[in-house]
Parts: sequence; structure tokens; C-alpha cells
Amino acid sequence: MDTPAIATRGLTRRFGEFTAVDQVTLNVARGQFFGFLGPNGAGKSTTIKMLTGLLAPTSGQIEVLGLDFAAHPIDVKRQIGVVPEGLALFGRLTASEYLRFVGRMYGLDRNTVNQRTEELLEFMNLASEPKKLVTDFSHGMQKKLALAAAVIHGPKVLFLDEPFEGVDALAAGSLKAMLQRMTARGATIFLTSHVLEIVERLCSHVAIIHQGRLVANGSLEELRAGVALADDTSDEKLTLEQIFLRVVGGAEGSNEEALQELSWLA
Amino acid sequence: MAGIKADNGPQRGRYGFAARLARQQYAALSWARWRIFVHSLRSRRGGVDLTAGILTYVFGVVIALGPSAGLGVGAWFSVSHHHPAGLATEFWIVFLIWQFLSALAPALAGQNPEMHHLLRYPISFGSWVLLYLVYGLISPSSVIGALWCTALWIGIGVARPDLLGWAALVLVVFALFNLLLSRAILAWVERWMARRRSREILTAVFLVIALAVQLLNPAFYQHKGKLPFGLRQATVVRVAGEVKDLQGYFPPGVASISVVRMSRFERAESAAALGALLLWMLGAGVVLTIRLHAESRGESLSEAPRRTARAAPAEARRRRDRGFSGPLSAVFEKDLRYLLRSGPLLYALATPPVMVFLFSSLYRQGPYSSISRGYALPLSLVWGFLGLTRLVYNNLGAEGAGIQAYFLSPTSIRTIVLGKNAFHLLLFALEAAVISGMIIFRFGAPRPGIAMATIAWLLFAVPANFAAGNILSIVMPYRTSLTRMKGEAGSLGNTLLSMFIQVVLLGVGAAVFIPCAAFGREWLATPILLALAAATIFAYLRLLSNVDRLVGKHRESLTLEVMKAR
Repeated sequence: MDTPAIATRGLTRRFGEFTAVDQVTLNVARGQFFGFLGPNGAGKSTTIKMLTGLLAPTSGQIEVLGLDFAAHPIDVKRQIGVVPEGLALFGRLTASEYLRFVGRMYGLDRNTVNQRTEELLEFMNLASEPKKLVTDFSHGMQKKLALAAAVIHGPKVLFLDEPFEGVDALAAGSLKAMLQRMTARGATIFLTSHVLEIVERLCSHVAIIHQGRLVANGSLEELRAGVALADDTSDEKLTLEQIFLRVVGGAEGSNEEALQELSWLA
Repeated sequence: MAGIKADNGPQRGRYGFAARLARQQYAALSWARWRIFVHSLRSRRGGVDLTAGILTYVFGVVIALGPSAGLGVGAWFSVSHHHPAGLATEFWIVFLIWQFLSALAPALAGQNPEMHHLLRYPISFGSWVLLYLVYGLISPSSVIGALWCTALWIGIGVARPDLLGWAALVLVVFALFNLLLSRAILAWVERWMARRRSREILTAVFLVIALAVQLLNPAFYQHKGKLPFGLRQATVVRVAGEVKDLQGYFPPGVASISVVRMSRFERAESAAALGALLLWMLGAGVVLTIRLHAESRGESLSEAPRRTARAAPAEARRRRDRGFSGPLSAVFEKDLRYLLRSGPLLYALATPPVMVFLFSSLYRQGPYSSISRGYALPLSLVWGFLGLTRLVYNNLGAEGAGIQAYFLSPTSIRTIVLGKNAFHLLLFALEAAVISGMIIFRFGAPRPGIAMATIAWLLFAVPANFAAGNILSIVMPYRTSLTRMKGEAGSLGNTLLSMFIQVVLLGVGAAVFIPCAAFGREWLATPILLALAAATIFAYLRLLSNVDRLVGKHRESLTLEVMKAR
């Protein structure tokens, strides 16, 4: 049996007395398109930061492609691509310069870097303004550039934190097709997004984190079965949004009282 | 992790700071840094910043060259006249100024790519440390420190050519120690300052230390005139002797001992001292490595997130909000909250009164005391305004993406700028009140002529500062972080221009007052300054009425600069 692409055991991160991620144990198989969901502040980005080496866990273990991250951080980083929450681009470079820089940081030779840079810029529709600085790009263009930078070295595992936020529908379609082709060829994608329709369409497996704890994990069918109620008589399948609301919404409680205070709204 | 094996995982490699991948990464980073520099010249602001940067460096080198010559001559004198204490003092001077400059001016090191942005790339720990040290090498403190070490080396070499080799070895180790220590201090300070509570504690500790140091002066001189001179001199000699013995255990001391012993051909003792210096260097390296290791593993320096904030009860909210409404007060209140949550800004505001307090002791007595007494108030108030420079001359820099709220709201930019100016005026009034109280307490009330002229000058200078500050804030803004003291890229152009304007304003005041005082017409300065004040108030109001048009013209660049990702 193949080792999982991503495996965590008891992953925990504390900030002082506050526990942002609490004993998260996950297995993401190779070639899987994995959705990682949760309400705001649930611990999604903290988890991704730990899985990509941007944040050290307080306790627990992380293995990526069978390698212990703590013991082999560079080997792991060479095999993964990341679109982080804040993008963290070098704003005073052009898109082409930035991609060339990232390619070289991963040890690609000059010819490969140049070829892939041109191909990626063309694919992302970023080639038309070669002199424009990244800082002058729109947010959507910066997202596309961050995604291009995350894949330039051909990673086996890709971590995407809200990759489609601000990206136009046309580009989003192309990106989704590219990501699906990557998973078909064996790459693993770990995706967080608040747009549940996208997650439902792309991901075969989903985990939900709430207040730092993993509250649901499995294929969409498994999740549906897990949250089905006795009075669910309809033949229609539960959408991911409904699953999400049942898993997380129940814990949040009713917001009816607070809504009453907004009586001044039209 | 049991049951999981790397059956077909990626190949594992060996990654040192000199590995092929590492060399490729250094080349990529150098190239990116070069491209960032080239692109920075595209804009007019980039050109101004470059010019200002060159001027600053030239000025810095000119300033550093003087002490270099002094240190070189001092080293020559100490070695040729067998004066070991002199050489030790010079090593201490280099050490203290190196560390002081490093802590004082990290921003002048330039726009290095943020180290934590590099974490996601496969950079080995060795490369991480090397990059951190290289960034330190190009800082002004290291350049000046290296220059001074070279001066010491030349001085020693001229006095005793046979010592050139050994002195070079000692000075290289000494310079490396200084570099490692300065970087270690910065790394640890950054760690502690990452949390707001730590920043507040550190600010308080700094203020307490500054005041405590100040109290040493009167404590030392309290018996002046009561105790015989010989006794006081004996105390000084005794303390100096103890310090002299103690300093020999510290790096500047052991470095100088190593050179001095070698000059006496005491090779074993000299080597032992160099060994001690190497141990100090190793210690500084270990302290730095501990910190960098944690950072490279992804240690979080941010504040702990909070899931939910308990909302204030409705009644309390109503009580709290009573009496505040309108965009002007909204801007005022927002800026006040920003200020109260910003350690560096509070520090910048607290520093002038503390410094005035410190300097007032120095000039209360002595040959210049009569001049100090006469002009203490105006000079101190000028100093007081320095704490506000960053706020006044870049009053939109801390807004970040929030600046868009101003453009979206149904409020003119004039109101927003007015709100900011009103807030800054209040801050200056508070600062001026504290400083004036301190000066009157220490020197007594100033002469009426000077007091009146000072008030008239303030009426002239404050609107002029606000008018110039508003223009630079719009035309030459830069994004600032209100929570970090280190790594602030800033804008040299804006900084130098703002300083230049303040010098000009002070110069105008002096140009009016000094001739009047010289001809015995001190009272005449007040009406002249009031006339000038009328002109600057008119200019300020005129600018305020045109501020929306000015912002409209620079809106794009203003938004881009202020919202720029850091």
C-alpha cells in the first residue's frame, strides 16, 4: 500500500493558553483532491502553515510523502507547492522575474525555469504586461501568479489556501482543469476554501475543522451518511453546504436573537 | 509514525550552506534583490529615495571617517607609548557604537526580502544563518564597525609593524563577534517585541532605566561643595580601577589584552586572550543560532489569535459612545486607538520628554548654563516635535488597506486630514505641556520676551509643519507598521525632506529672534513671528481646502504605496 501523501498524528498548535489546532489526525491519500473546511478562525490556515513548515507544531507529527517533516524539512519542501494565505509575493518584481526567482530557489536549471515561466504566464494570462510589477497587479492576478509559483517546480503535493478568491470565472475554470489534471497524474491537492460549491465539485474527500478539532473526515458519501437525520425522507442528496451547516452550525447555535437587534435594516 | 514507511518517497539529499542548491538560492536571491533595486528606480519616489540614500551613506561615511582617524591615531599612540588602557577604551568604543548603531538603525539596512517569506522554500538551516549574517554585513553598523576596526589595525600597524598579522587576526575575530552579537540581539529583540505586551513592558523598562540613569547624575553630585575635592577624586579613581579590572573579562577588554600582550612578546598570554575572545564569539554565535533555529522551523512571532471577543453590554456601549459622532471624531478616535496599541509610536512620543529631562541636567550647570536657561524652552519644544514627525509627515501610512474606507465613505478627504491634524495637534499640545513643565521646573520660568516669541514661533511652525506634512503624506507616502520597530523600510526621501523642513522652520525662528535680541529688541521678534504665523496659517487653510484635489491627483499611487504588501 502507498504511504499517504499527507499524514498527521495528534497535530496540535497552541498560542499561549489558546489552542488553535487540537490533536488533529489526518490521512490524505496520494492523488486525492482533499478539501479542508471550517468556519473563520477554526484553525484551517494554522494547520496549513504547519503542514508546509511555516509554523512549528506545539506537538504531534507530520509526514509528507512518507517523510517526517521535522527530520527532513528540505526534502519535503522540494516536493510541495504552497499558495499561502497572505500570498507573500515579492511585489517589486515583474511576474516573469518572480517565477524565475522561485524556480531557481527550488534548484531548477535555467532553461527549465525559462521554459516553464513562459508556459505558466501564458496559461495564467499574465504574459500581456511583462513590465508590470507584481505590486501593481489586481488581487486575482496576484492569486494566479502565486499559483503559478506554487507549481513551477512540479510539486507532488500542493497546498492551496483560498486559491480561487478574487479570480475571474474564466481563469478559475482553467485553474480547476489544471488542478484536476494534476491529481489525475498522481499529485495530491490539499485545498481550503469557503466556497463550498467549488470544494464539492473538485474534492473527493473532505475534512471539517471546528474550534481547532477535526469534527468530520471522509468522502462526501461518508459525510452525508454521517450527518443524515432520521427525518430526512427526501431522495435528494445533501449538499456540502448542508453537511457543513449540520456539522458546524449546530455547534454555533442559533443567531436569531442577534438578528432581532438588526431590525433597523431594510 | 508507526506503519508509515517512505517506500517510494522523494530522494533525500544533503543540504549544507555550500551545496549546489544553496549556491543556486544565493544567486537567485542576489538577482531578485538587484531587480527590486532596478525597479525601485522606475518611480520618481524611487529616484528621490536613492538620492537620499546616497546622501545618507556619504554623510554617514564622512561622519564615520573622523572617528576612524581618531581611533587610528589613538591606537598608534596607545601601542607606541605603551598605554594599554587607551587601547582598551578604543575597543570598547568600537564595540558600544557598533551595537548601538545596530539597534538604532536597522531600517537603514535597506529592503531585504523578509526572512520568514523564504521559509516555504527548501532553504537549509546553514543557508538560513548565512543569509541572516549577510543581511547584517551590509548594515551601516557593520560597515562603520569594519571601518573602525581597520583604522585600529592601521594605527597598531604603524606603531608596531610586527604586530600587523596578529592584530589583523584579533580584529577579525573581534569584528565577527560584534556582527554575531548585533544580529543575535536584533533577533531576540524581534522575538520579544513581536507581542504587544512585551513591547509595552520593554518600553516601560526603557523609560525607567533612562530615568534611573538620569538620577545617577544628581546622586553623584549631591555632595558637591560639601565633600573635599580629593575625596571625590579618590572615589572616581576607585570606581575606575574596579571597572578597569572587570572590563578585561569582556570581549573588547580581551581583544585589547591580546594585542597588548603580543606587543610585549608574551605570546602565551596573548593567545589565551584571543582564545577567550573566540569563546565569546562562539557564545554569541550559539545565542544567535538558537533563535534562528527556532525561526527556521517556523516559530510563530505573532499575537495569539482569539476566537471570539465578548461584546460589551448594550448599556455599556451606549454609555461609551455618548458624545461622539461624525467623521471628524471618528478619525480622531481611530487614530487615538491606533496610538494606544502601538509600542513604537508611544516610544517615539515618550522619548523627547525623557531626553529633554536628561539633557536639561547636563546644561543646568557649567559654562553654558546661562544660555541654556534662556533658550531651554524653545529648543526643547523643537525637540518635542521630533516625536511626532513620523505621524505628521506620513499621516496615512499606517492605514494599510483601510485607506479604501476613506475613499468609500461619504466624507471629504479634507475632513479626514483635518481629523488627523487635530489629533496630532492635541498630541503636540500634551507633549509641549509636559516639556514646558519640566523646563520651568528645572530652569525656572523663561523671560517674557522669549516665552512670547516661542508661542509666536509655535503658531508659525505648527501650521507650517502640518501643511508640509499633509503634502508629503499624499505625495510621498509609505506604508508603516505600528507594531514593529525593526525592518521598517520607510522612505528616505520623505524622512530627509521632513527633517529638512523642520531645520528650515527652526532656522526662520532663529533668523528672526537672534538679530532682534542682538539689537536689544527682543519684543520685536513676537510680532514678526506672528506675521509669519498668519502666512503659514493661511497656507495651511488653503492647502486644506485643496486637499481633495491633491489626493485625487495622487490617489492611485497613494493607495498603492499605503496598501503595499510587506
